[in-house]
Amino acid sequence: MIKESYKAAEESQLVKAALDGDKSAFGEIVTRYQKMVARTVKSMLGDSVFAEDIGQEVFIKLYYSLSEFRGEAKLSTYIQKIAVNLTLNEIKRRKRFFSMFSQKGNNEMYEFEVADHDTAERKEASELVNKALLAMDPKFRVIVMMRMLQGYSTKETAEILDLPVGTVLSRLSRAQEQLKSILEKL
Amino acid sequence: MNSSEIKKLIISSLNEDSDPAEVSRKLEEEGVSYDFSKGFNEKVIDRIFSARLTVTREVEFVKSLNFAFYRIALTGVAAIVVLLISIFLMEGSISFNSFLGLSDSYDESIVCLLTGN
Repeated sequence: MIKESYKAAEESQLVKAALDGDKSAFGEIVTRYQKMVARTVKSMLGDSVFAEDIGQEVFIKLYYSLSEFRGEAKLSTYIQKIAVNLTLNEIKRRKRFFSMFSQKGNNEMYEFEVADHDTAERKEASELVNKALLAMDPKFRVIVMMRMLQGYSTKETAEILDLPVGTVLSRLSRAQEQLKSILEKL
Repeated sequence: MNSSEIKKLIISSLNEDSDPAEVSRKLEEEGVSYDFSKGFNEKVIDRIFSARLTVTREVEFVKSLNFAFYRIALTGVAAIVVLLISIFLMEGSISFNSFLGLSDSYDESIVCLLTGN
């Protein structure tokens, strides 16, 4: 489906071709960034069909807003912003839904699966990270996800979340406290 | 890595002086990785391009509807103009009575017609 010529293509070339309606070029963008989006969406929402849906929504939104992408920032930053916004919106929506229709606690709003082919040790690591993340307050969870799983610096995190660097730093330290107390119980 | 080492790594990842890229790489090595199911790429492409096709079809339908409406409206206007001209030619004026076909009738004859007296 994806043309070989696009495998080594530059971002700007892919964006231009995708804007001209080239399916293969957009397919290459999806291939390049789907793992990054999966890390954001699945670590924040748990591993479920809904997370897959949100992942698809991220790329659909990207496709329709590609003409607004001016290339000043990296395409990955632009996609990450979309992914974070859609994921936080979904968390708010779920919170509203669960507060209206269910007595379930915060943690039960999410579910996650661990790959069957992984060894026991790898499963344990994955389970530990997912349990800890999903038990956190979403505003801290997003900061931890960006730093711990995506490897973004404080400055990059601030840019993506549209927050001042000082706010990110204070949230990081509060997130660390919350994470410590959660991990003690696990 | 055992679970206590993983816990330490997770907590240290939030230290200001830690290298976040290094931590994420180490976690991935330990099995903390995420991906979408097989065929994700195709599903996204299908959703985008089938939606575009639907939108195009809807736009085409609205365009044909507009075109049909204009044709019907123009035909109606033409029919009204022909009717007015024919009334003018037959009656010599376009009054309300002539439009209703009552130009030759007097009020009394209408009353007589309706009441029978």
